[in-house]
Amino acid sequence: MDFNLSADLLSNFQTGAILAAGGHIAPEPLPGLGWFTNSLFVAVFVMLLVLWFTRMATKKMATVPGKKQNLVEFVVEFVYGQVEGIVGKHVAPRVFPLLATIFIFVLVSNWFGLIPGVGTIGFGGDKADMAAPLLIKKDAAEFTGLLRPATADLNFTLALALVFMVVWAWVTVREIGVWGFLVHTFGPKGGLQGVIKYLLIPIFLFVGVIEIISIAFRPVSLSFRLFGNVFAGESLLAAMSGIGKTLGIEAGWLQFILSVVAPLPFYFLEILVGLLQAIVFTLLCAVYVQLSTTHEEEH
Amino acid sequence: MGGILETFGLKLGPFLSQVIIILIVYAVLKKYAFGPVTKMLEARRERIAEGEENLTKIKSDLEQAEQKVQAMLDEANKDAERLISEARESAGAIGEKEKQKAISEAQKIMQNAEEAAKLEHERLLGELKRDFGRLVIDTTSKVTGKVLDDKDQKRINEETAGQVAL
Repeated sequence: MDFNLSADLLSNFQTGAILAAGGHIAPEPLPGLGWFTNSLFVAVFVMLLVLWFTRMATKKMATVPGKKQNLVEFVVEFVYGQVEGIVGKHVAPRVFPLLATIFIFVLVSNWFGLIPGVGTIGFGGDKADMAAPLLIKKDAAEFTGLLRPATADLNFTLALALVFMVVWAWVTVREIGVWGFLVHTFGPKGGLQGVIKYLLIPIFLFVGVIEIISIAFRPVSLSFRLFGNVFAGESLLAAMSGIGKTLGIEAGWLQFILSVVAPLPFYFLEILVGLLQAIVFTLLCAVYVQLSTTHEEEH
Repeated sequence: MGGILETFGLKLGPFLSQVIIILIVYAVLKKYAFGPVTKMLEARRERIAEGEENLTKIKSDLEQAEQKVQAMLDEANKDAERLISEARESAGAIGEKEKQKAISEAQKIMQNAEEAAKLEHERLLGELKRDFGRLVIDTTSKVTGKVLDDKDQKRINEETAGQVAL
């Protein structure tokens, strides 16, 4: 066996990464269901799971909470505390429901992707080779995963980001108005007075244009950050699952053991990454709201 | 741009479906989860605040009650001391009165006894004188061999009684 990290080996790793999460960067339609993709299937499943659990937890609310109610209360209190700390007490009730929805949905979707079988159970591919995960087989292009984490689909992350941007625009207009937003973006800042204020107007206008571009790119950065992290995590796990084959180990039993043992540490990492990405997405949204709803005198 | 969209699988159908899913989750969670949970948290917070307030009130009431009890105890102690003092004074007066009474009675008893003793003494003395007179008369009659008449006996008795001054 040759364990040198040769160019060929690197190439194999890269192939593994690219072929992860269903074998493609894009989600794949499930056979016979038109544009209904595997990630959409998981999104529906996660939606039902979240709704069922929260309904169960909040159906009979009690002052002394049960385990489910306690968990939901803990999550709500945690997110509310974080959001309120950033956007303030006045705006928090308006944006909290959406930000909490984002947090819960993203977190459950991220962790759902770590369940064994997600990305590896599917249709097509080489059935003869069971030692390595289906994702990293040479003919993985023919493979369609049944389950793909919703957050490993740009459609989902972009949808989240755009829904947030709509709410952001509504909250901003409601808080400071359209004119207030324009003044906030293009107007002179820092309480400048006199001639210097008029001299700096072109600079502030230019800064405003940059600010608008920055705002326009927020959905892109939000969605690609989440998608990239989750997809990379899936790819990492897939690559680690197939490391035996990638290293050229031919013994089937050893490939199997490696496919179980090698990804284990990365599963713990991905649990952390899943939580972290949910927090990052939510808190960034909160920060964007805070930036646009802060009144001038509060600067 | 089209290539990027295709590479990442961005399509209107899946995208709008995801938007709808997010909105459904948002609407349902807002109505059935966040609303009741935040209300419950608020209610619990108010209840805790109310409990704290009650606790403070109870503490204050307890302090007041303790102060009241202490005041009552102080007053009771004062009353008890006054009563004891009065009882002592009263007992002293009664004792003194009884003592005086006892002394007076004792003096009276002693006086009676003295008088009784004096009378007894006088009676005995009289008897002794009489016996002595009789003895002298008997002795005189025996020595003289003369029968003494009443007159002689009376005279001898008076002389004897006069000489025997007891």
